[in-house]
Amino acid sequence: MTGTQDDGSRTGARTEEPRTTGSDDEALLPELVAHLREHRTKLRQQWVSRIREENLLQAMTSQEMAAETTSVYDNYVEVLETGSVAALQQYARDLSERIIPRGVETHEVVGIVLLLRDVLARSLFEKYQRDFGMLNRVLDAYEPAANRIANTVAVSFVDERERVIRQQQDSIRELSTPVLPVRERLLILPIIGVLDSERARQLTVQLLGGIRTHRAKVVVIDITGVPGMDETVANHLVQTVDASRLMGASVIITGLSPDIAQTLVTIGVDLSKMATIGDLQGGLEEAERMLGYAPSRPEGAPAP
Amino acid sequence: MAAAGRAGPAGDRPSPAEITALIPLVRRVVAARVPDRATADDLVQETLARVLAASARVEPGMLEPYAIVTARNVVASLWRDQDRQRRHQHRVVDLRPPEAPDEDVLVQEDREAVTAALARLTDRERATLLAHEVAGQDTRSLAAELGSTAGAVAAQLNRTRARLRVEYLLALENAEPPTDRCRPVLLALSSGDRRRQREVDAARHLLECDVCARLSEPLMGRGRTRDADVRVPVQSDADVVAARSAAREVAAGVGFPPTDLTAIATAVSEVTRNIVKFADSGEVVIEAVEEPRGIRIVARDVGPGIPDVDRALDDGYSTYDGLGLGLPGARRLMDEFAIVSEVGRGTTVTMTKWWGER
Amino acid sequence: MTSGPRLFSILRQGAILIASIHTALDDTQLERFRADLIDRIGHDRAKGVIIDVAALDVIDSFATRTLRGVADMARLRGARTVIVGIQPDVAFVIVQLGMDTGSLVTALDLEEGLAHLAAVTGAPIGPGR
Repeated sequence: MTGTQDDGSRTGARTEEPRTTGSDDEALLPELVAHLREHRTKLRQQWVSRIREENLLQAMTSQEMAAETTSVYDNYVEVLETGSVAALQQYARDLSERIIPRGVETHEVVGIVLLLRDVLARSLFEKYQRDFGMLNRVLDAYEPAANRIANTVAVSFVDERERVIRQQQDSIRELSTPVLPVRERLLILPIIGVLDSERARQLTVQLLGGIRTHRAKVVVIDITGVPGMDETVANHLVQTVDASRLMGASVIITGLSPDIAQTLVTIGVDLSKMATIGDLQGGLEEAERMLGYAPSRPEGAPAP
Repeated sequence: MAAAGRAGPAGDRPSPAEITALIPLVRRVVAARVPDRATADDLVQETLARVLAASARVEPGMLEPYAIVTARNVVASLWRDQDRQRRHQHRVVDLRPPEAPDEDVLVQEDREAVTAALARLTDRERATLLAHEVAGQDTRSLAAELGSTAGAVAAQLNRTRARLRVEYLLALENAEPPTDRCRPVLLALSSGDRRRQREVDAARHLLECDVCARLSEPLMGRGRTRDADVRVPVQSDADVVAARSAAREVAAGVGFPPTDLTAIATAVSEVTRNIVKFADSGEVVIEAVEEPRGIRIVARDVGPGIPDVDRALDDGYSTYDGLGLGLPGARRLMDEFAIVSEVGRGTTVTMTKWWGER
Repeated sequence: MTSGPRLFSILRQGAILIASIHTALDDTQLERFRADLIDRIGHDRAKGVIIDVAALDVIDSFATRTLRGVADMARLRGARTVIVGIQPDVAFVIVQLGMDTGSLVTALDLEEGLAHLAAVTGAPIGPGR
């Protein structure tokens, strides 16, 4: 991780030439910036070839690499010049957003920034190696700024990456337990696939929230597509049904497989007290009857 | 910040302007190593003072390099100091003499208390402690003398200091601990050893013993307090609401989702109500736990205790009205749940919920 | 009677009493709420009672039993009770706690509660317009 320029040659500040340069310290950074601008092409190319050597950013084409490295380079120099990381931060986020979907990893992003730090430090070293006092001061000025840049880019990338991952997880979760308002006051939850604890928990949140948002009176949970569930999840499902009732909604469960029915009985659920109906179609008809819509079957009498 | 004349005045000392001109340079060197502004400023000052003091010995053109090296040394010695401070944080009984002139009597009492406390140590404890604290002998040479290791000597010194603190406070208060349990509890608190504190059930003892409750205050004030702990004393109905709000807040800080916040607050409500209903007084301590992330709640009371804990916890699954202690429900809401109860003394409920579980 | 901000209010609308809890209540306050409400049911000869608990962020065993107690007493005095406004998280925790809520009638909100009472009691909703 550390730049290789940090070798022993920087320790002898108090020795050597008594004639330390006369320039004001404030002038150091501008001088440095001027140097980096002047040798932009050469330094950027050195940097790119180092990136290639280290097999970083292999997902990028040469053109992309050229474009991105130029931007990063310019941003980098700008931070050194202005001392403000805001622009770089923004750019790092944009860059991250573009490259994260292509599978670029955190270590690659950090790696390329550290390589750039390295390349630039070497060039400074070359330039000032005859003047120890000056070199020392230039590096003292450069090093903290460079570290700050590396830090900014790394943090931006990690933040962005986490945001993207969270977003993806959220949308996958929501997709996995969709709450469909099929008509007024009626929700359907078709659940497909294995219901694990995390999904069951998601289902509860979505369903109870959905009841309130849609002012639902009846909910049909269709578990035809659920191959099985363990007792913890079954218990969770039953609790969700009870909680729905406390919010004023009735729940009909459709597509209950014999296996799951057995699990429910095992954990002590009284199936006669749960509204279970064979298939989704039947469940919907029952739901509409409960809501007082035109009965689709002659025997659909309102509750006494 | 114009460049000061590099040549310097004819005399051998640099002008103040030259020293001033060093400020940006020194500041940069220090700031690169010390993030805290105020500390950095102090160090810049110190560097400049040292440069000024030594300036007569510095060759005219060498002022800057000299300042750079000095600044680095100052930063390095700050780190050493901080390290030393950390290693010495445990030193107690502030041995510096108090300053206020009208505190003579107090000083006298204080000295007597220290003397009395020292007298209660064993000879060997006392000799080692004094050699270290007063004569400044380091642990390594002490270890060599005692045929031990530096680490063992340091640990022994820690225990001795912990004892000295306890004995000092007892001597100062002129108090003899009312029960056998007092000293072990005070020692555990004094040494800051949390495991030992749990072993001797220090928190419960403090609820029961007024002397220790009073003495423990200066002992617990030492070292780093963990601000993640929230303590709610419980006596009345209103405290139940206070305890559950506090728990909700701490849990929100841990990052629990809303349903869990409600579950945690409800569990706290149940166990806190028991304190109000069945015991005279008690407390609820809420603690954010790290690695794994979670929240731990300890509710303890001084009260009649629960004769049959198993029965109190067992009320079947779907009905609630068993013994009406609220314990089975609270247990179902949390991931871990433990009760220790002693008839005639009181009850401690410890419950934990892990973040991201279930 | 209450000092400070009102903790709850009980309003009459026709034959129906609407009791709203405004903030988290401790046990003593909940007891007073129950006593006040039961008094009013008798006094006003109410046929229906709606208890709005939307402001409660915790409904623990005591609160649940209290609500059940009100409903039972109201029934003895000839009034039907509907609890409205239970928050989603709170609903789930009541169930997790293992509380028996079988005898409690619940509805989503005030509007639903009124509709339910109108259906079961035949009482006109609100003062005749």
